[in-house]
Amino acid sequence: MKSALLWETVANCSTTKARVSKLILPHGTVDTPVFMPVATQASLKGITCQQLMNLGCQIMLNNTYHLGLRPGQALLNEVGGAHKLQSWERNLLTDSGGFQMVSLLTLAEITEQGVQFQSPHDHNSSILLTPEHSIDLQNSIGADIIMQLDDVVSSLTTGPRVEEAMWRSIRWLDRCIKAHKRPHDQNLFAIIQGGLDVELRNTCLKEMIKRDTPGYAIGGLSGGEEKDIFWRIVTQCTDVLPKDKPRYCMGVGYAEDLVVCCALGVDMYDCVYPTRTARFGNALTAQGILNLKKSRFASDFNPIESDCDCLTCKSYTRAYVHLLATRETVGCHLITLHNVAYQLRLMQQIRTAITEDKYPQFVKQFFKTLFKTKDKYPVWAVNALKSVNIDLMIDDD
Amino acid sequence: MPPLLFTLLNNEISLRLGRLSLASKILDTPNCILNTVRGSVLHLTPDNLRLLPFQAVGITLEQFLDVQPPASTKFPGGAHEFFNFQEYLLYVDIHDPAKQIKARVNSDKFISVRTHQGIRQLTLADYLSYMNAYKPDFFAAFSDSLIQKNHGDKRVQKSIDRTLKWLDDTLDRVEEDTNVFGVLGGHGIREERVRSAHETAKRKVAGFLLNVSEIGDTSEERLDLLRTSLSHLPQEKPRLVYGLGTPGDILRAVSEGADLFDTSYPSEMANNGHAFTFKFATDSNASDMTLSMNLWDKSFARDFQPFVPSCECHACQNYTRAYTHHLLIAHEMLANVLLISHNLFVYGRFFERIRNSIKMKTFDEDMRQFLHRYEGQAQIEHSMERDTEPKTKELIIN
Repeated sequence: MKSALLWETVANCSTTKARVSKLILPHGTVDTPVFMPVATQASLKGITCQQLMNLGCQIMLNNTYHLGLRPGQALLNEVGGAHKLQSWERNLLTDSGGFQMVSLLTLAEITEQGVQFQSPHDHNSSILLTPEHSIDLQNSIGADIIMQLDDVVSSLTTGPRVEEAMWRSIRWLDRCIKAHKRPHDQNLFAIIQGGLDVELRNTCLKEMIKRDTPGYAIGGLSGGEEKDIFWRIVTQCTDVLPKDKPRYCMGVGYAEDLVVCCALGVDMYDCVYPTRTARFGNALTAQGILNLKKSRFASDFNPIESDCDCLTCKSYTRAYVHLLATRETVGCHLITLHNVAYQLRLMQQIRTAITEDKYPQFVKQFFKTLFKTKDKYPVWAVNALKSVNIDLMIDDD
Repeated sequence: MPPLLFTLLNNEISLRLGRLSLASKILDTPNCILNTVRGSVLHLTPDNLRLLPFQAVGITLEQFLDVQPPASTKFPGGAHEFFNFQEYLLYVDIHDPAKQIKARVNSDKFISVRTHQGIRQLTLADYLSYMNAYKPDFFAAFSDSLIQKNHGDKRVQKSIDRTLKWLDDTLDRVEEDTNVFGVLGGHGIREERVRSAHETAKRKVAGFLLNVSEIGDTSEERLDLLRTSLSHLPQEKPRLVYGLGTPGDILRAVSEGADLFDTSYPSEMANNGHAFTFKFATDSNASDMTLSMNLWDKSFARDFQPFVPSCECHACQNYTRAYTHHLLIAHEMLANVLLISHNLFVYGRFFERIRNSIKMKTFDEDMRQFLHRYEGQAQIEHSMERDTEPKTKELIIN
């Protein structure tokens, strides 16, 4: 199908499946692998667009479900889309809205037509979200990348429901492609389903690759499944997905997951974790998480991370942030700024290491810094990296 | 600390144009000092703060007194560096100008302060040791401040006696060139206000602090009591006033000779979803008679203009009323960031225009027009009274 993006791979890792590419979208170039912060309701938790630009953010997420409720489709049409609404000149990605309905709403029922759910405002009426509605709403929002409506089942579900969801997701993709009115400036991504079943995943991959969408997401994961199964599904997908298109792993954002999934050949990620955890006073660092609410930081006059060049670390000590963490909005803003800076810097380091073809060395150093000793390394990560020729248990000379 | 210098740039008794300076830091008056909460300006990260026209910041000590000594006093670089206010004139007060506790028990030995974990006691010795660690550019003296509406005469007298004694103790103990603002009292009793002003003025203070937030039922009464104190102060020292914040009150207090104010009002308005729309001393024939707009109002849902189209603040340059309305409805913290950025910017510019208006000798006319536009006829008559006779005599008659 028609595509509104260009994909140029700049470097391939000679050991793993990792790659560095330029994803050229209607609102500018995105360097991948990329982490996309989540601005659920057209705002990233107290951070201005100018601050995000200063952090080097090239693309962020909005959630279709939330924007559909507030400010609503009519207003989005009137203002000319979400870029204009929030004064964001760079790229946006929207989800289909289906995931939020299934996860936020208890009474969602899925039929062939779409997702039927109770109205959050009026409990006597119900709303039906069809693939056509989702695309129509996403066309109004106007994000540079939009997602198909898929039939989401928990990754812990087994049996015929998984297969039904996979086939339905394919049928819904066809309906989304048909309903999509702006393929010239919005890129519709398919979402690979099939649960944790290798055969179903293969079938879904084959069918969706046939549809030739501008990019692909690996869906139905990050729902509490075993990490050792998670990575196997990811690597199965990246093995088959076309090399000349971006691959997006939805809902992934922990640092070690990003480092492993990049080795498996994933290009794009999003997660609310860095910004959500900031609101609880948690700062992300290369050495692990610091909960700045803890009294041990009251007199700690070091920055959150000494080699971090974010505004928070350049301006304040941990003791100062401790005074504000979870008490004042500024405390939340300062940790959010740091956490987004941390995520974006991690991705920059990943891209640099791949470009210099030193990704295996980078990965080893990353795990050593974060987990200190090998017995603390997550087994799934060790296994996943071994599958792409990095043995974390062997030190380089 | 280097001495805080105050120079009057004009010779008018009540319409004062001044300059506060300390080393290379300058604060032209009339002006305001930014309030902080736990050492941060409400909702503003340091980059957003620096988009605003302010040169002075005030820290409220009681917000750090859950545990004594506060950890920040152990920081070797002093308060400027700890709070990242190096380039600002830094002022410290014990109490929050915006929130005074209702039941404050003070004794000869200590005063009560409100912390996040409840009421604590603070002694003069501890206060001075914290100031020694913080090294602010100036700070409010330790005082027995009264915060209830009604106090007996004896309690008011005692508070002044205590405050003066503590001021003497303070000035004895601190190094020379420590810039202490004497705290004036007297509550609603004129004789005591006069005594407090006279006695404090005799001491070697760098300036005066007058809190009128808890006295008087109306801003007129507060202004009247303020006038009582101000008229007994020497001209050559700055006067900081808490408890007056609306633009009309600021103008009236400026015309009574007040130099410095706090920023409780613009902050509170922002927290309530209001963006300032008032203009002072401009050519514009603004027909809008409102001081602010309430962004919660549904009528802004489809209004794609900035708060004030001609405003140069970060929020108005980048965002619309409709977006802020959306952020408020969606309970997004960015709404507060945009509203406070705008209100503080407008407030800072308001003081700039006041100074300019005094300089151009158009203040009285500008104020009359402002009050006419925003407050209507009744208020103007009241405010015009001030010029009819010299204020210095007025009190003695009372």
